[in-house]
Amino acid sequence: MSSASINAAGMNSVEPARVEKRRSWLASVVHHALGRWGTRLGIGWIALVAFCATFAPFLANSFPLLVRVDGRWSSPAVIHLTAVDFTLVIAAASLLVLIRLKKLPWAIRAWWFAGILGMTLPLTLFAVKPPLVSGYEEYRDLKHEGRVQWMLSAPVPYSPNDHLTDQFDFTHPQPWAPSRSHWFGTEQNGEDVLSVMIHACRIAMSIGFISTGIAVFIGIIVGGLMGYFAGIVDLLGMRLVEVFGAIPTIYLLLAFCAAFERNIYMVMAIIGLTGWTGDARFVRAEFLRLRGQDFVHAAIAAGLPLRSVLFRHLLPNALAPILVSASFGVAAAILSESVLSFLGLGLPVDAASWGRLLNQSVGQGGGFHLWLAMYPGLAIFLTVFSYNLIGEALRDALDPRLNPQ
Amino acid sequence: MSFFVGVKKAWARRPCHLLDGVVTVTEMMQTTSAPLPVETPLVRVRELRTWFPIKRGILSQTVGQVKAVDGVSFDVREGKTLGLVGESGCGKTTVGRTILRLIPRTTGTVEYRGKDFFAYQGESLRKLRRHMQIIFQDPVSSLNPRMTVGNIIGEPIQVHGIAKGGERDELVASLLQRVGLDPSFAARYPHEFSGGQRQRIGIARALSLSPDFIVCDEPVSALDVSIQSQILNLLDDLQQERKIAYLFIAHNLAVVEHFSDEVAVMYLGRIVEKASSKELYSNPKHPYTLSLLSAVPEPNPRPKKTRIVLKGEVPSPSNPPTGCAFHPRCPLTREMARGGDERDTVQITSGGEPVRVLRKCVDEFPALEQKQGEAGHVAACWVTT
Amino acid sequence: MTQKPLLQIRDLNVAFDTPRGQIRPVRDVSLDIFPGQIVALVGESGCGKSVTSLSILRLIPSPPGKVLSGKIMLDSRDLPALPEKEMRKVRGKEIAMIFQEPMTSLNPVYTIGDQIVEAVMLHQHVSTKQAYGIAEESLREVGIADPRRRLQEYPHQMSGGMRQRVVIAMALSCKPKLLIADEPTTALDVTIQAQILELLRKLQRETGMAILLITHDLGVVAENADVVAVMYASRVVEVATVEEIFDHPLHPYTQGLLRSVPRLGAAEGRLESISGAVPNPARFPSGCKFHPRCSLSRQAAASAPAEQTVEIKTVEETFRVLKICTTVEPDLREVQPGHWGACHLIENYEGSKVSLPVLNHRREVTANAVAAEREGAVVVEVLQGKEG
Repeated sequence: MSSASINAAGMNSVEPARVEKRRSWLASVVHHALGRWGTRLGIGWIALVAFCATFAPFLANSFPLLVRVDGRWSSPAVIHLTAVDFTLVIAAASLLVLIRLKKLPWAIRAWWFAGILGMTLPLTLFAVKPPLVSGYEEYRDLKHEGRVQWMLSAPVPYSPNDHLTDQFDFTHPQPWAPSRSHWFGTEQNGEDVLSVMIHACRIAMSIGFISTGIAVFIGIIVGGLMGYFAGIVDLLGMRLVEVFGAIPTIYLLLAFCAAFERNIYMVMAIIGLTGWTGDARFVRAEFLRLRGQDFVHAAIAAGLPLRSVLFRHLLPNALAPILVSASFGVAAAILSESVLSFLGLGLPVDAASWGRLLNQSVGQGGGFHLWLAMYPGLAIFLTVFSYNLIGEALRDALDPRLNPQ
Repeated sequence: MSFFVGVKKAWARRPCHLLDGVVTVTEMMQTTSAPLPVETPLVRVRELRTWFPIKRGILSQTVGQVKAVDGVSFDVREGKTLGLVGESGCGKTTVGRTILRLIPRTTGTVEYRGKDFFAYQGESLRKLRRHMQIIFQDPVSSLNPRMTVGNIIGEPIQVHGIAKGGERDELVASLLQRVGLDPSFAARYPHEFSGGQRQRIGIARALSLSPDFIVCDEPVSALDVSIQSQILNLLDDLQQERKIAYLFIAHNLAVVEHFSDEVAVMYLGRIVEKASSKELYSNPKHPYTLSLLSAVPEPNPRPKKTRIVLKGEVPSPSNPPTGCAFHPRCPLTREMARGGDERDTVQITSGGEPVRVLRKCVDEFPALEQKQGEAGHVAACWVTT
Repeated sequence: MTQKPLLQIRDLNVAFDTPRGQIRPVRDVSLDIFPGQIVALVGESGCGKSVTSLSILRLIPSPPGKVLSGKIMLDSRDLPALPEKEMRKVRGKEIAMIFQEPMTSLNPVYTIGDQIVEAVMLHQHVSTKQAYGIAEESLREVGIADPRRRLQEYPHQMSGGMRQRVVIAMALSCKPKLLIADEPTTALDVTIQAQILELLRKLQRETGMAILLITHDLGVVAENADVVAVMYASRVVEVATVEEIFDHPLHPYTQGLLRSVPRLGAAEGRLESISGAVPNPARFPSGCKFHPRCSLSRQAAASAPAEQTVEIKTVEETFRVLKICTTVEPDLREVQPGHWGACHLIENYEGSKVSLPVLNHRREVTANAVAAEREGAVVVEVLQGKEG
């Protein structure tokens, strides 16, 4: 009876009670950040925007999802899907499947995802050929003529570029205020605001991620080299950072928009190419600090190759401020795009964008249309606010003083 | 160069009882190259200098040099321990890191098994590095917080092609076991461990490449007293098992005496005295060594020794005193200058007070030379004999 | 011996709330400090010695920390119950404190002079000019040459030893009755440590203040303290005079600690060590907190009947200890006159009574520094004398 074994707490054993702590650093940071209701709301809103962006053609489309015309079934919405639409849907589906495959390590799942994406986009670009000419009013006319036996429309039965030409009522000029048929009203060309806003989610998501991605990528490379090699590399790099930091992004965008054809990718590239200086400074400072740390010395002394020292030992430890600055950068990029579109620059005239709707809230006659300012404004505000909430939560989660590791 | 001859003679006469009869077949296999001839040290350091430039102004002109290490020479024998003692800022840590080429040297040579270590570059340097490892003072910053213990220990094994996959994991497990940790700890992250356990992980990492030379940079000074002796005993056992040579850097004289075969005392970038451990502590020849020894508080409420409290602080290595760097604090030169001739002495200011010291100590730099006592006992002092 | 204690700590309990539940860094600590006495609180990291000292001055961050119970009496005033306004008068004026890191205890943006003068004027009704005079005098007292010029300097212009002198000067500028020195020399080099300890002893002799010396360095304790209290896992486990502690340590932890310190000139061979690690306050073992590391309990278990022992498994080893050590936490009892210990295995522990450790003792021998004028002669004697 006496030899009841007891666990000597406090000895060289870490008790089972602490097992829940055994997460990787990134997982623990995410866990910490997610603990706040603010972050959850932010992520919830971003998820909604991402959902709208992915499934925009199924949420707002002038073409019915499923229709029976003259006794023949067809799906005009699917026929009119573009390559990008297909890719997004396939990406969303594969993401869902991969998230369920809990047994695979995260890294492998990420590679799978990148692989699927890389395969799908060229394939769809090659294979998917939507009709070049299409009349948005086609099925409205058919229905009017009574040739439609059965029809399933999208929740918002208007495409963003559908100017509702068939319903033009000159006694009641555009834009129309919100009504039962147009919940958020229409803009000055007669496009449905809700439909435009749903399709504009794509630009809002992509402009933030792509331009920030460019900025972070350049920032890590330049800042990492400056920080690790120091000396003359650092000196030259810092001058480069100062030069790029001095370029006023908005003016550059205005100049480019005036000089070249309007193009969303150019806007992304310009925001990314001028926005990396902050990231470079962060990475440089972190690398300079880490370079003198003992574990980096140990890695060099063990004869590890430079690639391992830089990317396995230094970079993961320098990621913290980058994560934070990236989430604020996404918010800033969305704002920049909105400002440009509001000024009537930046995007092509027919591109669906929240900023363009804002621009139209002040009519040609000088009248102010509240619904054109309120709904897109709210969307911009909520998105920027969400990214800021996430950034804030990440910053706190990464702060060693608040979350001792 | 007479003292080098002295050192060699002393080493030739030293009994190597630690190694007698303990070299088993497996250990022979672990040794990476053939046993060295007796007269070739494992690591030979000659006239090593590491100066850091002081830069000022917008164009970063060099306005001066911090002579962190200024002409240090010593040998580390196979399977033996050389202790390097000194106060903070004396350059002992810089010596250790310069030898491993973690900091660029200014001049001087380091030979490993008779090969010029500084001649290696790129791939061949990376390959050679596996024989020379380091253990750090700070158990917090010495382990990458973003890697699991298994990867921290296993990465060097894999990179050097010693083992991979399951074999690598087995090797990691056996290393963890050897340093007194549970093999299951490989899946954990460093922040889950106590200071002593982290230090054991650091030792396992250093051992992973089966080196024959390890720089121990204050390996126990950040640990609790009751943990210190565990780590020291572990290092001792490993030395006996694997014939590893240590360069043991520390500020705690009692630890160094206990641990080292030979001890070198550093002051302002230079070695001022070197002797076998026993000889140095029983018969110090440099007044700085004596002051250091007498300043160590003893765990005894009735200390018998007389205490010499040195005046003043360690001078800055960017502007060291002329001649013997210790002369502004040296009680010996003051005593010898007392009542001395005007021609032989000179008035200096130390700690705001005027002091009279020997002119020779101010003007000329003393070389390390053989002192009375055991052969190989060298000190750099004009006054003692 | 009828002298009244300056500071009495009675059954102090401090708790910290953490996300993982409450931890108790100080449990049932009682300690007396008499005027002019140097009391050392010894222990390893996390044993609660610093929290004890911080709670005397009510400096523990609250929340998460709080004093659960206990009294800290300073001249018949109970410090934990004092209003904050009164407490501010006690801090600095009656009890001063110096910390381990001299750089962080000085504000880098003010000159040394500004900082000392501020402290002086807070507690003494003097003019600015007089305050500068006092500041200059206190710098001179701690052995800083050219104090007038030093007053104009910033902390970063000084070396570590010099800064610690400034901190001491600041602490002593208001002539406190008690100085709490929390690891005052840990960040300093040996030769500078010797200077600072010498200075503290000299100032203590001159002013008659009491010192609560908090340290992990047994050498510093042996050479400076009058009375020693050893802490382990938030509790005081042994109290005695400095001579008793070092000559006849009774608690197995104290014994192990003393054996594991490498000593100058000691014989070669393996160091003795205490197995295991200092326990985390969040996960203290049951019974005596030292039992998983205790060699005495293991020895006793080897010869005890099996039903009185239990088996313990750790990563490193499996062994048996006495059952009582794992179930009953021993109190601090006066096991010998003037020697308190908390261990079931101390001789006649069972027959001794629980009592408060009160020791108005002063050491006889102090490690005296060689007088400055004789120093050279001594060095010559030691270095050259052996040749003959």
